[in-house]
Amino acid sequence: MNIVVCVKRVPETAEADLKIASEGRSIDPEGLAFAINESDNYALEEALLIKEDRDGTVTVITMGPEDSEDVLRMSMAKGADAAVRLWDPAFEGSDAVATARVLAAAIKDMEYDLVLTGCMASDDGRTQVGVALAALLGIPHATYVTELAVEDGRVTVGRELEGGLIEKLDVALPCVVTIQTGINEPRYASIMGIAKASKREIAIRSAGDLSIDASEVGEGGSSTKVLGIEYPPLGEGAEILEGTPAEASEKLAQVLKEKGFA
Amino acid sequence: MVDLAEQFELMGCIQCGRCTAGCPVSLRTYLNVRKVVYESVTGPGPKDAGERPEVWNCTTCRTCTDRCPKGVKPMELLIGLRSRSIERGRVMPTVRDALESTFKHGNPWGRIRDKRMDWAEDLNVPVAEEGEHVSVLYYVGCTPAYEPRTQGIARALVKLFEAAGVPYSTLGTSESCCGNEIKRMGEEGLFELLVEGNRQAFGALEIDVIVTSSPHCMNTFRNEYGEPELPVIHYSQLLADLLRDGKLRLSGSLDKTVTYHDPCFLGKHNGIYDDPREVIERVPGIEFVEMDRSRERALCCEGGGGRMWVEAAEERGERLAEIRVKDALELGAELLVTACPFCLLTLEDAVKTSGSEGKIEVIDLAELVAEAV
Repeated sequence: MNIVVCVKRVPETAEADLKIASEGRSIDPEGLAFAINESDNYALEEALLIKEDRDGTVTVITMGPEDSEDVLRMSMAKGADAAVRLWDPAFEGSDAVATARVLAAAIKDMEYDLVLTGCMASDDGRTQVGVALAALLGIPHATYVTELAVEDGRVTVGRELEGGLIEKLDVALPCVVTIQTGINEPRYASIMGIAKASKREIAIRSAGDLSIDASEVGEGGSSTKVLGIEYPPLGEGAEILEGTPAEASEKLAQVLKEKGFA
Repeated sequence: MVDLAEQFELMGCIQCGRCTAGCPVSLRTYLNVRKVVYESVTGPGPKDAGERPEVWNCTTCRTCTDRCPKGVKPMELLIGLRSRSIERGRVMPTVRDALESTFKHGNPWGRIRDKRMDWAEDLNVPVAEEGEHVSVLYYVGCTPAYEPRTQGIARALVKLFEAAGVPYSTLGTSESCCGNEIKRMGEEGLFELLVEGNRQAFGALEIDVIVTSSPHCMNTFRNEYGEPELPVIHYSQLLADLLRDGKLRLSGSLDKTVTYHDPCFLGKHNGIYDDPREVIERVPGIEFVEMDRSRERALCCEGGGGRMWVEAAEERGERLAEIRVKDALELGAELLVTACPFCLLTLEDAVKTSGSEGKIEVIDLAELVAEAV
């Protein structure tokens, strides 16, 4: 069972005070910590679990500049057998479908049974790369998967739907499955493990290596474009409770009581 | 894989039982350190801490290692088993998250670096510039920097530095985790990375002395950072000096009965027992009473050895911190003073869980002194 896992390096934004970059179309990365996209991390873990259960290989692949090698090394430290980084200045500004074109160009010539990736990138939240990739590879897909079992020639999956429903599907291999967080408990990559992995080779592929027509990728080859981003407008009606945690929780309890919630 | 008996030099063990007899968590958990040593000598021993989840219950108080008449270091074996789990990537999610956060953000609390100085927002705390001469570098530490209750320690200390005219500075948001807990969770590689980074940060300044909020940070800076030795003390030592020399004057009076809980990493690990007691006794109005289990025999609060991030395996009996609170109450103490952010949190929790709220208050030594300024 050979598995390809598509991963992305993203900024951690949960607690950060985000600044919009001067060109007005992206987030200023200054001072942000970067890591593997959360759901990609679960996809990687799922691949490693399948490998431990059934043998085969796990190859991690990403599209991005040299910085992205962090997440590839971390993936190898956890047990991925090989890593590929796709990069060319022509790829800059690719939207989800253009990104899928780059990934498909690299994956189509690999020997694979299953492609896993996260269901959503936490930076742009598009959720489209996995689906577009399956269409370009001409294979079936299942998205938002929270249960996955590999059987002969197929996988059975549970997809998380709206309203808490789970859709059960049988999907023929090869296929693309996009993984939802919570499907497993991702392992830890030790620093010594990452240091060892950094001595291993990462294959780098350019547009030329992949025979990609530059007009089909990057901003020019994308059918969507970010025109600008703005801070959400400040709303009204929020009350911020000041004071020590003990004082604030006392006030909160009072408010909840007054409004009849408790 | 290297044999455990060889790696941790266990062949000297005579199975006398001094380790288990002194182990405070054996009251609480099924961890039997003598058995782990025995099995590692007679057989292959456990593969890693995953096979023996109770290995994660060890608070690394070091009583077993200190008591061993043969110089065997059972505590090191337990940490080594944790390391093997770490290298396999199989650790509990809370430990994984603490380690990943330390790697990414420089602290085990999952908070971003940008907010590391939020505790000082309204305090005008100086941040040292590269090359600056700094008499006292105040190393705040992750817990007092981010954790709301223990931020009180940092705020009190800054107030005391100012009251005593101590020229001090900090590393600001570029301060990173000391690695004491990281090493004890078994992540040796990450620890080495932190040592390198912190050495660089200290090396960029001309520092007379580093003063830490936490005995844990002081312990690793003092004993585990290699050569050249770092000039580091715990703040209780500085406060004792300042009071002795009359640089810090206490005008307030606190008419309370007070007892003191020895943090393991200040006492057992570093032999600092007298300075914090002297500081307490110099606070006007205080009546100091000593608990039976004090100094070298002090009962551990269960907050060390990475335990702040560990879901303890199967437990029995009372929390040690609850026993500690009860001991203090029996003495008639109104204040239970400690000098460590982890002890402060575990003891304060124990006051709540044992239903002792209103009867006794837990306070850090720095906060106690700041109240009397």
